[in-house]
Amino acid sequence: MNDPKVVGFVCDWSVALAPLLDGTRLRELPSVRVIPVPCSGFVRPDWLEDALTRGADGVFVLGCPYGDCLNREGNYLMRDRVDQLRRRLQRRRIDPARIHDRTAFLAEVRAFLDRLRALAAAAPKAPTKMPAPAAAEGEAR
Amino acid sequence: MSVTAPPPRSPYGRLMTGVLRGTIKLDVVINRIYPSDFNPLYYTGGLANLFLFVLVVSGIFLFFYYEASLIGAFASVQYLTERVPYGGIVRGIHRYAADGFIVAVLLHVFRNWFTDRYLFARDNPWISGMFLLVFGGFVGFTGYQLVWDERAQALTAMFLAMLRTLPGGAWLARVFIGGSGISDATIVRALYLHIGPASALYILLWWHYTRLRHPKIWPPAVWVLFCVGLVFLLAGVIPALSGRPATPAAQPTAFPLDIFFLWPFWLMNWLGAAGIVVLLGVLTAAGFAIPYLGWRERPQEMDVRHAGVAQVIDGNCTGCELCYYDCPYNAIVMVPSPAPGFSRAAANRTLLAVVVESRCVECGICIGACPFEALELPKFLERDVRARVLEAVQA
Repeated sequence: MNDPKVVGFVCDWSVALAPLLDGTRLRELPSVRVIPVPCSGFVRPDWLEDALTRGADGVFVLGCPYGDCLNREGNYLMRDRVDQLRRRLQRRRIDPARIHDRTAFLAEVRAFLDRLRALAAAAPKAPTKMPAPAAAEGEAR
Repeated sequence: MSVTAPPPRSPYGRLMTGVLRGTIKLDVVINRIYPSDFNPLYYTGGLANLFLFVLVVSGIFLFFYYEASLIGAFASVQYLTERVPYGGIVRGIHRYAADGFIVAVLLHVFRNWFTDRYLFARDNPWISGMFLLVFGGFVGFTGYQLVWDERAQALTAMFLAMLRTLPGGAWLARVFIGGSGISDATIVRALYLHIGPASALYILLWWHYTRLRHPKIWPPAVWVLFCVGLVFLLAGVIPALSGRPATPAAQPTAFPLDIFFLWPFWLMNWLGAAGIVVLLGVLTAAGFAIPYLGWRERPQEMDVRHAGVAQVIDGNCTGCELCYYDCPYNAIVMVPSPAPGFSRAAANRTLLAVVVESRCVECGICIGACPFEALELPKFLERDVRARVLEAVQA
C-alpha cells in the first residue's frame, strides 16, 4: 500500500486549512482528503465508521489542543467517543488503529500514514473484510 | 460549504488574525514545556478565581483588625502590620493577590478576545466578565483608600475631581465621601465600597458560569501551589507598607504607584480628570461592544464555523439525554415529550430534547453526541457530510 486513502475531519477553528489545501486534498499529501467541521466534537462516530467500511484506509479527527477547545469540551468528548468507537470496531474486527484522533497536524498526518503502511504490511488480508461472527467472538472481549 | 480561499478580510480582521496567530504561537511554545492540559494560559479564569479566593480569605483576616474611622484607619493598619503576628504577611498577601487577580483577569479578557471566544451566544459570559473587570478594578481602588495614608488621601481627591466632571457630579461626590467633606463617614463608605462590590463579584461569577456545563473554576494543583507560593514570597520579600499618615493639612503630590490598579490616576498627569473619565468610559463601552461590533471575521467568511443554531429533528429524538449531557453550554434542555416520535427508537420516548437557541454557539457537539440522527446544524447537514465522505473515499 503506497498511498493509504485517508479521510480527515478537521476542526476549522484549529488549523488555517486554506493554504494547505488543493481542492479538498492536502497539497503535500494528496491521498488525504479533508472535511472541515465546526468542531471536532461535531463528528459523529458513525461517519468515521462509514468512511472505513466504504473503503478508506484510515480516518482521523483533528481538533484544538486538549484544554483549549474553542467550544470548551469538544475535543475531550471526541476523544471519549473515538475510544468507544475503537472498542466497537474491535468487536467487529476492523482494526481500531485506523482511527486517529490527535492534535498536531502535517507531521502527525505523515506519521499516521506511515503507521497505516506498516499496518498494511503486517496484515496482508484486507482488514475491512468482516470475519465470520463465531471467530469474531473469540477475541472481542 | 466549499473549501476555497477565504474572501479578503477587513483591515481590523487582518490585524486581529495576526494577534490570534501570535496568541496561538505563544501557546505552542508553552505546550512544548508542559502537557497542554497544564498550560497556564488555558486556566486564566481559574487562576483569577484562585486569586479571588486568596483575597477573600486574607481580607476576612484584615477586616477583624480594621477600624473604620479617620483616626483609627491608619493606626489600625499600622498595628496590624507591625504588632499582629504574621499581620504584615497577610497584608502583603492581600496586596499581591490583588495584583495577581487583575493580571489573571486581563490575560483572561485578552485571550478570549484574541481567540474569538466572544462569538454567538458567548456574549453572555463576555458581558458578565466585563462587569467583573469593572467591579474588580473599583474594588482595588477602594482598597488603596482604606489604608488612609497620603496616597489614599490623594486618590480620594483625584477620584472626587473625576466624579465632579460628570453630570450630577456634586451629588455623586457627596454620596462617595458621605457628606460635604472628608469625615469618618468617608472611611465607612470606603470600607463598604471595598467589601460590597467584592461580594458582588461572586454574584457576577454565578452569572459568568451559569451557562457553562463544566466551568474550569480552578487551575491544576501545580499552578495553585505556584501562585500561592509566589504571593507568599512577594509578601515576605517586598512587604506592603503604608505611606505617611493622611492629615487634613497634607497636600501630597506624589505617591508610590501600583500600576495594575492605579494607572488611570497616573495618566491623570497628562489627561486631567475629565480626560480620564472619558478614557475610562470609552474603554468600558468598547469592551462591552466587542461581541457585537468586534468580530474578527465577517459571517460570510466563517463557512462551516457559522452553520446556524442546532435544530432537533423531533421525529427522531428518543429522549436519551446524550446531547443534554455533552452540550458544553447547557443549551439543550429535556422536556416531557408531548407526543411520540416517528422512528421506532423514538416511539416510546418520555423526554424530548429542546435547543435553547439563545445559548447555542453553533459548535455541533450535540450532533456528534446523537446516535439517532436527531440533531442538525441547518447550514451543514448530515447528508452534506456523508456526501463529502463518499466523494473522498470514491476519488
